[in-house]
Amino acid sequence: MARTKAYVASVGFTKVAEHWESSILDLAVEAALKALKGVPKLSPQQLFVGNMFSSAGASQEHMGALVASALGLEGIPAFKVESACSSGASAFNVAYSLVKSGAIDSALVVGVEKMRDLEPEAVSQALAMAESAEYTQFVGATFAALNGLLARHYMERMDVTRDELSALPVIDHANAVAAEHAQFRRAITPEIVARSGMVADPLRLFDCAPVGDGAAAVVLVNDSGASHARKAKMAEVAGGRVSTARFSVYEREDMLDFTATKAAFREAMKQAGLSPQKVDFVEVHDAFSVVGALSLEAMGFSKKGMGSKDAKAGKYGPKSDLPVNTFGGLKARGHPVGATGVYQIAEAYLQLTGQAGGNQVEGAEYGVTQNVGGVDTTAAVHVFRGAE
Amino acid sequence: MAIQYWRIRDRYYRLIGSRCTKCGAESFPPVYRCRKCGSYEIKDAEMPKTGRILTYTILHEPMPGFEAQAPFPLAIVKLANGATVLTQIVDSPEESVKTGAKVRATLRRAKVDGDSGQIVYGYKFIVEP
Repeated sequence: MARTKAYVASVGFTKVAEHWESSILDLAVEAALKALKGVPKLSPQQLFVGNMFSSAGASQEHMGALVASALGLEGIPAFKVESACSSGASAFNVAYSLVKSGAIDSALVVGVEKMRDLEPEAVSQALAMAESAEYTQFVGATFAALNGLLARHYMERMDVTRDELSALPVIDHANAVAAEHAQFRRAITPEIVARSGMVADPLRLFDCAPVGDGAAAVVLVNDSGASHARKAKMAEVAGGRVSTARFSVYEREDMLDFTATKAAFREAMKQAGLSPQKVDFVEVHDAFSVVGALSLEAMGFSKKGMGSKDAKAGKYGPKSDLPVNTFGGLKARGHPVGATGVYQIAEAYLQLTGQAGGNQVEGAEYGVTQNVGGVDTTAAVHVFRGAE
Repeated sequence: MAIQYWRIRDRYYRLIGSRCTKCGAESFPPVYRCRKCGSYEIKDAEMPKTGRILTYTILHEPMPGFEAQAPFPLAIVKLANGATVLTQIVDSPEESVKTGAKVRATLRRAKVDGDSGQIVYGYKFIVEP
């Protein structure tokens, strides 16, 4: 099959919020219609829905056909792709592989999650299903618990302080102030993080991404498909890879080594033919402060043990050489789990097409998105290039 | 859903994981192909019952069904054979739950499936006095 280039030609998303008035389908449709209206002459050849727990969150499965039907796209192949919190970028990666290979010329990817219809305990339970029923859920451990174990190990072994761990959440919240679609748009201080309620010692509430509803959508095309999207601004997908690690963090030889992110990043950058120095911004999966730090280390932007310390020292702020989470990341833009990876990709598109408004990274040419399911159990990394 | 736990009760009661008959690598939970040498020659194996805390947390917001115990300590324990286990720590003074502390396995009530459901037992660990 002829390999062509692949592009994001259009994006759409809802605000991340408590959408009491919207169903899971309403959210998916709202985001999808925004993306589709950006390329009015194009009809996508396949649909991929990134979603983690529509069954628990909205008593709904069969999301592919449901969304396709509501959009008047019945007839096309439509699938739900699930890989826990990385469902969104995993869905995108499947679509990207097909479009890039030339098997299809265009695809619509919709990430969606309805979380707030559930009570908080039920959200915890639904999220924990990303972990082993028999060995993690069985002992009463939540996702936050695994990350609390990881955070203590990180702080003790790498001599990381409370204030250093707080640096990424502080950056996220500062970046979200100008981001209209962000769930929490207030700046915070390290003191606010350190005083917030204890969730899984040493992790506090402000180390953890919030619960919210949202949907994001992107239209992918290759060179053939692009002829139906002539007026659209494009960002090239220069590389992309999904990788997996030993399932649970406690099964790994070194918990601080995010091997899935490391492998996915290495391969995506190789596909893009890019050296890390050329990257202008990174959207990092900081579902927990410690996960953001270890992800930056796995991608080599920080040395081992230095992710949080570098953030505290200003390496990743909005005016730095490598801005991170330019619209607030998971912590402040929000983390509607199956949608998160698609939000990151939509945000990278806005940056690379000069449509990021008050969050614009000036002169951005290359951006990286990293979306994780579990504690770096699945990692999906994509590299984007601004198209001329 | 107690049946899914009942099904592997032996693993819970005796900490049964897996051992590679080629290179001897041991894992808990069990694996079905050796992570060290790639061999498919894997057998069930009882894990040692002692180890050390590699890291721990005090969980304040636990899974539904565990609220009455919260906050409670959870730890990743490195067993004497190098395998690692995620476990609750019980019957141990708060200040004894520390990284590096020596622990041993015990059998406890793990889950209760409602008022009339099955009671499921499983491993927990105690800090050695």
